Amino acid sequence: MLLPLPLEVLPEPEASHAGQVLIELGIILLVLAGLGRLAARIGIPSIPLYLLAGVLMGEGGLIPVSAGEEFLEVGAEIGVVLLLLLLGLEYSPRDLRNGLKSNWVAGLIDGVANGVPGFAMGLILGWSPTACLLLGGVTYISSSGIIARLLDDFDRVANRETPVLLSILVMEDIAMAIFLPITGVLLVGATVLQGAIAAGIALSLVILAFVVSMRYSEKVSSMVHSHSRELLLLTVLGLTFLVAGLADAVQVSAAVGAFLLGLTLSGQVADDVRGLMPPLRDVFGGLFFVFFGISIDPRDLVPVLIPALILAAITAVTKIATGIYAARSNGIGPRGQWRTGLSLIPRGEFSIVIAGLGVAAGIEPQLGPLAAGYVLTLAIVGSLLMRFADQIPLPPGMRTKGARPTPQPLGVRTRT
Amino acid sequence: MDIFETPLPGIGVRYEFQAESGDHVGVVVRRDGKRDFALYDREDPDACRGTVELSEGDAAKLAELMGGTSITARLDSLRHNVEGLAIEWVTMPAIGGLSGKTIADGRIRTETSASVVAIIRGEEGLPGPEPDFVLHAGDTVLVMGSSEAVSRASAILTG
Repeated sequence: MLLPLPLEVLPEPEASHAGQVLIELGIILLVLAGLGRLAARIGIPSIPLYLLAGVLMGEGGLIPVSAGEEFLEVGAEIGVVLLLLLLGLEYSPRDLRNGLKSNWVAGLIDGVANGVPGFAMGLILGWSPTACLLLGGVTYISSSGIIARLLDDFDRVANRETPVLLSILVMEDIAMAIFLPITGVLLVGATVLQGAIAAGIALSLVILAFVVSMRYSEKVSSMVHSHSRELLLLTVLGLTFLVAGLADAVQVSAAVGAFLLGLTLSGQVADDVRGLMPPLRDVFGGLFFVFFGISIDPRDLVPVLIPALILAAITAVTKIATGIYAARSNGIGPRGQWRTGLSLIPRGEFSIVIAGLGVAAGIEPQLGPLAAGYVLTLAIVGSLLMRFADQIPLPPGMRTKGARPTPQPLGVRTRT
Repeated sequence: MDIFETPLPGIGVRYEFQAESGDHVGVVVRRDGKRDFALYDREDPDACRGTVELSEGDAAKLAELMGGTSITARLDSLRHNVEGLAIEWVTMPAIGGLSGKTIADGRIRTETSASVVAIIRGEEGLPGPEPDFVLHAGDTVLVMGSSEAVSRASAILTG
């Protein structure tokens, strides 16, 4: 009689499935690590390279990925949730209030000038209204991740135009908290009424998050707080996944749930989490970009390349115009206006999040490839334009007229 | 001097002022306590000619080198200007000394010849306190007199 091996107790998987998954994941992470180094060397953000790596993997690509795809899908979802949680943590409700108060006109212009070209391009390509709306979102939103990082890299944090730039980014992020739930509902084929209800839910959740973080932030933070890194990580991750999952269940989108949770946490806990989470976010965020890329067959990129480039060119110009307008109305000089405009061009994580919603719902086969080509172009070109903003000559009509400009005071006078 | 304050969402707060030389100077106080010290360009006043990143400790050192807080700077100049006259800022202890008692209880004028010139309580300055003024823990008492008298007075005050 043969003794049963203990292994046979487990349900019989296909031969060494776990090993296969680990090998694929290992290769993917190593590819990302290599690309990250390359990006740092040539001074561009790593997001477009991760995306490109994803496009080259999977079906139709150079590196086949099959066994790890399930894990990648979950990993990508976690990546989005963490990206948005940390984005929410970056802002305090006071930041949001200030941003809305001071620059809402520029924010409105930003939305119209950069959303409409995407929407129109969708219409020209004969897409459904929902797909057009998603493409409008893709072209509207600048990448706060890339831009904030580059501001630091290029030593522009102290520049006088930087507050203007940041307040526009803040407004875009708030707009997303309302835009994502609406598209989420439209994607499941809901009626206008259901869409309106979802928008209402989203809006009240945003307001709720504001109230909670302003009134009860100390209570929430002390409930979550722990001196043990392990316990803090478990608590925050658990809370994040739960909130994101619940938000998803009521069609508000997991990403928005995480963003609002990030806004709600403040004080000591926010500081601790900001120190703890970025490595996790970077790993899973990287997987998210790869996963989006994998879902795109490189052969599908070719037919949408021309529309993607045209759209990139148009929305680069509209972003520049938005930036110039916003900076000028805040009393920034011509050079600073130019820098603000160029700095708004990079698109990144949010555009991919929006396009990813459409890809997951399968509404328009061209949306994914077009968004990928678009983000690849503007993430790279935008970063380069931002870096060389001071070397690029001002367009005619914006030049300084000889005299040394006197800066207008900016901000609130505190002491005399 | 006017100092202008602008919030930097996600980063911290930016302060800016114009030095008497005409140059614009900026300081970014980041949320994690780091400081960026920036000097603005004369041709393009929105851009920085250079920035220095300072840790919290670096910033404290620099502040010390630059003359510290304005109160100590002004105090130092007073000391230099008036020879033979000592000034001391005495912080009242939590327990003991004259905390919770009146100035008259300490008999400072009689015993030491030093005078209690003013009290600073919180943000408020109270010049010329009466003898029946009750001192609280945490009050800062400004004592003036010869250097010997002042040190004896501060001994009485702090117990």
